[in-house]
Amino acid sequence: MEEQVKNASWDHFVRIHEDLCNGCVLCMKVCPAKAIRVRGGHVARTEGLCIDCGECMRVCPRGAVKAITTGSRKIDRPTAVAIISPVLYTQFGEDITPGDIYEAVKGLGFMDVVEQAEVMAQYVKALELYIREKGKSRDAPRPLISPVCPVVVRLIAYRFPSLLKNVVPIITPRELSAREARKKIAEQRGVDPEEVRVYHVTPCAAKMISIKRPVLMERSYLDGAIGISTIYPEVLRELKARKEKKGEANARNRMVEWAASGGEIDNMEEGNLLAVSGMQETIRYLERIEMGLLESIDYVEFRACGEGCIGGPLTVADKYQAKYTIRKLGRRQRQGLQADVAQVEERYKSGWFFTHWEPRPIGHREQTLPLAEAIRRQEQVEKLRRALPGKECGACGSPDCATFAEDVVDERASISECVFLKRPREKGESG
Amino acid sequence: MYGLVPGGREWIEMAHLLKTFSITPRDFVRAGEISIAIQGILKSVGFGQDVIRRASVCAYESEMNVVMHGGKGTFFLAVEPEMIVMEVADDGPGIQDIDLAMQEGYSTASPEYREIGFGAGMGLPNIKKNADEMEITSEKGKGTRVKILIRAEEESGGAG
Ligand SMILES: Nc1ncnc2c1ncn2[C@@H]1O[C@H](COP(=O)(O)OP(=O)(O)OP(=O)(O)O)[C@@H](O)[C@H]1O
Ligand code: SF4
Ligand SMILES: [Mg+2]
Repeated sequence: MEEQVKNASWDHFVRIHEDLCNGCVLCMKVCPAKAIRVRGGHVARTEGLCIDCGECMRVCPRGAVKAITTGSRKIDRPTAVAIISPVLYTQFGEDITPGDIYEAVKGLGFMDVVEQAEVMAQYVKALELYIREKGKSRDAPRPLISPVCPVVVRLIAYRFPSLLKNVVPIITPRELSAREARKKIAEQRGVDPEEVRVYHVTPCAAKMISIKRPVLMERSYLDGAIGISTIYPEVLRELKARKEKKGEANARNRMVEWAASGGEIDNMEEGNLLAVSGMQETIRYLERIEMGLLESIDYVEFRACGEGCIGGPLTVADKYQAKYTIRKLGRRQRQGLQADVAQVEERYKSGWFFTHWEPRPIGHREQTLPLAEAIRRQEQVEKLRRALPGKECGACGSPDCATFAEDVVDERASISECVFLKRPREKGESG
Repeated sequence: MYGLVPGGREWIEMAHLLKTFSITPRDFVRAGEISIAIQGILKSVGFGQDVIRRASVCAYESEMNVVMHGGKGTFFLAVEPEMIVMEVADDGPGIQDIDLAMQEGYSTASPEYREIGFGAGMGLPNIKKNADEMEITSEKGKGTRVKILIRAEEESGGAG
């Protein structure tokens, strides 16, 4: 256990700062991976279980949870490319157009700024081709699952490994953008593509782990991530400075709607398509898919954050405000980005879109026990759980009674930690 | 069916992991919770993916049948390394013609249920397809009992 923690600690990019933490139970309660415990007045995390979703960050009232992104000192802008997520366009209200924002980011000194939107129409077309192809095959897994949200992908690799085969093996728009930008710049400047630095301007606390420890690809085409909340003040300053110049307004072409839940499937023409957002809802639907209950659906767009990436932990604007902005911006144009269908088909056939990588499950410690032992352990857990009061208070330092029972059986916690299960002797003493 | 289990009924009562749940008929808010709990238990034990999938499909279909058609029910689970046994019993109206009920597409579900996606008449056939053994007994007016056995001899451990 100890070793696992040590080895894995650098592996996560959502971190809890002990000096700011007062050991309340809020993050422990919301953690969907049940990776957090309160020990000795502070939270401790079982690193091997964390999926970097950032739920803890959202609830922490003391700002003790921070997402690590690439430090600004590490980024040498004149030699770096920034890929911008469409979420950025939703952060400044309806009066500032995506064109203005794009120009503003360009003014921040990067070697090049690329809009993720550029490849999105192609990505969506390729996705449609894939869904159609699999729809014809009898033994293709159903429903197919979007590869876009890295938290969902990690969740699947940890808790629903049987569904890894449902995840579409098409490279996500951010990675496609990075790959192509890298290639283009390398050609233009006559340098090695490896030397080009590419960063994602992102709302997502999980982007760093998806770059450093990708599940769906062997290696990421990105070098790091810049949080929208980090770069926001600079963009705002730049926007103010260039107030007079009006950027091109077309929001549709910039795929602003992609930023909210449903934006990915909105651009598809046919099929039984479903969009689900929010951590709890995602888990619920994955459980159902694993039971074979959603086989009438062709494709599910999952987003771990409620309302989609506009709800990402590294955003600045409130997610409903952002949704409002999307609506306002999108209304002004009817026409979306058009993909060159012939080119997409050709690239599809040549493998241009595909990851060519078989994703692997991320293992759990318990699952390495021999079955007979694992069953005995589980029976002990169930027995203890029946004996516990079921108050779900978290005072023991475990997120709920069931997890406390596991912790006791696994000798990570002592039964005496339960504040309701007072031993008779103690009662006599205190009373 | 238990003839095929070494030691029969007795074995089941001595199984290492036993769990009983109660099912409330027509409670659609909690419907499905038992199968999700069972799926979770089998996952933390670390059965193979296919075993877990087949067991949870069977659990779900039999749980839903009690919720939709049955009476007050109990869901009993016994787990051993070689097999998973589930026994789902209720004191509802029973099944008149079991052979007919086992046919794909046969359903007595009301239009209201069909509207919310049930009543395709695929539940029992689905159990049959996914279980290694299945047995239904029913008495009109007294209730229904479905026994399901899933063998787990194949590879264990969901992760690798
Ligand atoms: N526990 C039960 N009590 C009474 N009748 C039952 C019970 N289980 C099944 N039946 C009868 O058997 C029929 C077929 O069951 P089956 O599960 O195959 O289909 P369904 O429940 O009607 O539809 P679906 O499972 O596809 O939603 C049911 O319509 C019902 O008449
Ligand atoms: S919904 Fe978007 S922002 Fe949130 S975790 Fe997923 S990809 Fe990241
Ligand atoms: Mg049924």
